[in-house]
Amino acid sequence: MTDTRLRNSVMLAVAVILAAIYLFPLYWMYVTSLKTNSSIFAVPPEFLPGAPQWETYSLIWGESNIVRYLANSLFIAFGVTLVTAVVGSGAAYVLARYRNIWIDVALFMVLMLQVLPPSLMVTPIFVAFTSLGILDYPRIGTILAISAKTMPFFIILCRAAFMTIPRELEEAALVDGNSRIGAFMMVVLPLARNGILVAALLIFMQGFGEYVYSASLIADNRLQPASIGMTNYLQPNVVTWNAIMAFAATYVTPILAAFVILQRNIVSGLTSGALK
Amino acid sequence: MQRIAHTIRDGVGFDVLLIAFALFYLFAFAGLPILYNVILSFQQVDMFSLGSLFHEITGWENYVAVFNDPLASRVFWNTIVFTAASVFFQFSIGFALALYFNQRFPGASWIRGLFLAGWVMPGLVVGVLWNWLLSGDFGVINWVLMSMGFIDEPIFWRSDTDYSLIAVILANVWYGVPFNMILLAVGLAAIPDDLYEAASLDGATTWQKFWTITLPMMRSTIGAVIALGIIFTLQQFDLFAAVTSGGPAGSSMVAQYWSWELSFRQFDFGRGAVIAVMMIVVVLGVAAIYVRSTRQETRL
Amino acid sequence: MTDATATQITVENVDKHYGTFHALKGIDLSIPKGQFVALVGPSGCGKSTLLRTLAGLEGITSGAITIEGENVTGVPPRKRDLAMVFQSYALYPHMNVRDNLTYALRLKGVPKAERAQRAEEVAATIGLENLLDRRPRELSGGQRQRVAMGRAIIRNPKAFLFDEPLSNLDASLRVRMRKEIRALHDRLNATSVYVTHDQIEAMTMADHVVVMRAGIIEQHGAPLDLYERPANRFVAGFIGSPAMNFVDGVIAEDGRHVRLGIRSNSTIAIDRTLEAGREVLVGLRPEHIALGDAQDASAAFTVGAVEPTGAVTYVFSDDEPELIAIADGISTLKRGDTVGFSIDPGLVHLFDPETEIAIP
Repeated sequence: MTDTRLRNSVMLAVAVILAAIYLFPLYWMYVTSLKTNSSIFAVPPEFLPGAPQWETYSLIWGESNIVRYLANSLFIAFGVTLVTAVVGSGAAYVLARYRNIWIDVALFMVLMLQVLPPSLMVTPIFVAFTSLGILDYPRIGTILAISAKTMPFFIILCRAAFMTIPRELEEAALVDGNSRIGAFMMVVLPLARNGILVAALLIFMQGFGEYVYSASLIADNRLQPASIGMTNYLQPNVVTWNAIMAFAATYVTPILAAFVILQRNIVSGLTSGALK
Repeated sequence: MQRIAHTIRDGVGFDVLLIAFALFYLFAFAGLPILYNVILSFQQVDMFSLGSLFHEITGWENYVAVFNDPLASRVFWNTIVFTAASVFFQFSIGFALALYFNQRFPGASWIRGLFLAGWVMPGLVVGVLWNWLLSGDFGVINWVLMSMGFIDEPIFWRSDTDYSLIAVILANVWYGVPFNMILLAVGLAAIPDDLYEAASLDGATTWQKFWTITLPMMRSTIGAVIALGIIFTLQQFDLFAAVTSGGPAGSSMVAQYWSWELSFRQFDFGRGAVIAVMMIVVVLGVAAIYVRSTRQETRL
Repeated sequence: MTDATATQITVENVDKHYGTFHALKGIDLSIPKGQFVALVGPSGCGKSTLLRTLAGLEGITSGAITIEGENVTGVPPRKRDLAMVFQSYALYPHMNVRDNLTYALRLKGVPKAERAQRAEEVAATIGLENLLDRRPRELSGGQRQRVAMGRAIIRNPKAFLFDEPLSNLDASLRVRMRKEIRALHDRLNATSVYVTHDQIEAMTMADHVVVMRAGIIEQHGAPLDLYERPANRFVAGFIGSPAMNFVDGVIAEDGRHVRLGIRSNSTIAIDRTLEAGREVLVGLRPEHIALGDAQDASAAFTVGAVEPTGAVTYVFSDDEPELIAIADGISTLKRGDTVGFSIDPGLVHLFDPETEIAIP
């Protein structure tokens, strides 16, 4: 009995140390953001913050257009989530509903499109969008491009959710008097709701943190998202690491908060889609 | 017309409509760009000819230029080293952590979940964090290494051509470990306990159980995780943008970054397309092998 | 409801292909109003497919289906006005019992007050008054089954379709629900089509049993007709439990007896005259075999396993093919005994060994 408790305590202690080492970069981000301009360069580094310098935050909120950047990030994230969910949910449902050679082919194509590196796809997309005039609306163009990247992932995750819904439920709805779309909206979608929401949240996070397409397709500084806003700080020989870290902290804290709250759902949603 | 309305309302037309909608979208914004990319790779495209959809055909000129570029062999080897090292360390560390947290102790699954905080971060922010951690004079990693006696002089990770690629690999390993760990943990959890109990009764040691039960039972999961690791590593761009920008002097340049740099820094879209074409072939090849090897239920 | 002999559902020459698989082969069936019809057969025989084509959940390749005289081929399920009870019950997990019951009414646009009232009435009929606000996951298997029934009843449909509705219940509950479903059918004067793989369920519940195999109807008729006059070997073997014994035989010289192809030299009488020397397949129901003293009987076998159940005892022969006989009460027979047997000539079934069709 005591042996088990000792073992558990040791295991737990080691686990906490491992997690602490792993999460140190995040901790360092927050600590640095609260340091003064000089204490960030102290040797040895100050691992515990002295008096927290909240002014850094007021500074970046005042000077760096962070509100505009975050608003653009939100706009892009919402747009991507909306397009991906509206277009992808139906496809995920169909891919879950049937098993035949055509579905396998469609699924294979979807999986293939998921693996395309955005930094490679952006060249043809940029040239095509420019000549077609889509980049007159750069954020819309960016949303369309990102959605093509996020959609396969969304479809795979949601397909797993739809596959857990018994076919008989939908058939019961048809016999009860629904059309196909009625059964889909009133029975299938409500039952797949949790899976779809988790998938949508993951897509939202991807859209919120996206960089390649935004950096390549959005030339107008006023329309750029926070990921690009951050790189504007990253000039060679920067010294304002506390400001950069404050920017980073402001940017990722909502994501981390959402993650902590919904950790269990995210993990199960992720793993159900990734490894079935 | 009425029949079409009928089948959409009550028949398989509904399914066809839904799937066609998504496939059309993906074709328009992913399929066509791939094809267009191939065309671009044979054309001369610069800032001045951007306005039109089709440009002057130059044949294999872009390909020749890329292969003759002094950076080409450097990029080729960097891409291989970056991918191999990232996947190897992500997998090894991820597997070790998955095995550790697969032991039963209070809080195991909760603490394991904390690791995923790294995975949900935007890649660019991760890059910026590591940029700061690896800073030459004031980076905390250099200070730790020096105070523990591993090094005497600070390493200028980002500006030393010997270390710049390692810097990005470090960041990428940190970024990729949680995903590897969680997928492997799912695989571990799926191994029935009674197999281990039977092995214990047969007299197997912990080590023997790992080699004769865990590894064989995990074979398909391990294959999947490594394949996904390769695919995700070949997609990695943000870390390069935030840590080294491929420099200095191309010492940390990999293909997926070079393609973008040729297009969006040197505005030579034809050459950017050449590298994109070749890399897309590689990525699709890896993905095809992987999808085909996971027979019954398609994964990813 | 006025004309008891009116035809409610007809199926005319229906074919159904799934790719290369021929699931239904020229099915003809007509179901009178008020009848309880059971579709029975081994798995894969097409009984569920047939039911689903009636519901409109599956299309048909050719043929026609009519309901109340109206051709519904190609009509979607929602316009057929049939109710279906599914094997898994298919209760909507995100709705409570009341909403499950009234879902179809809601789709029809029945006002809310009337829906609520109908829900109360139906709940009273099936004994669910106190459960209307529960979710399906909070109900026991039997309660879920009742909700599924209620959901069908409340619609007052043209016919009820049942797809193995009792197969998820435990044995004792199944027997009780069998009676309840039948009682409900009678009370509502409904038309029911009931799919099951369990021939006892079919025999005990239905007015009319349809035995299917490999996409065709082997035989249909009243339950006892099928039991007493099976049209072929398949139906004979499928209906009745334990299953009928089949033994090769040869008609004796007098044409009035058949020599059984079992180890001992056994002969039994038949109630018709057949050509001497003709080879036949003899079907003997276990419950019709009367065991007795070996000396007195013209037929005998060596006893193999003996399985007492209390009420009856199953006696197996040690022969190939094995025979099963049912002895009343507790038998004193034991392995190795030789036992004589006889059978009423009128109860001996004869089949052609080639075609497996019953010999008249």
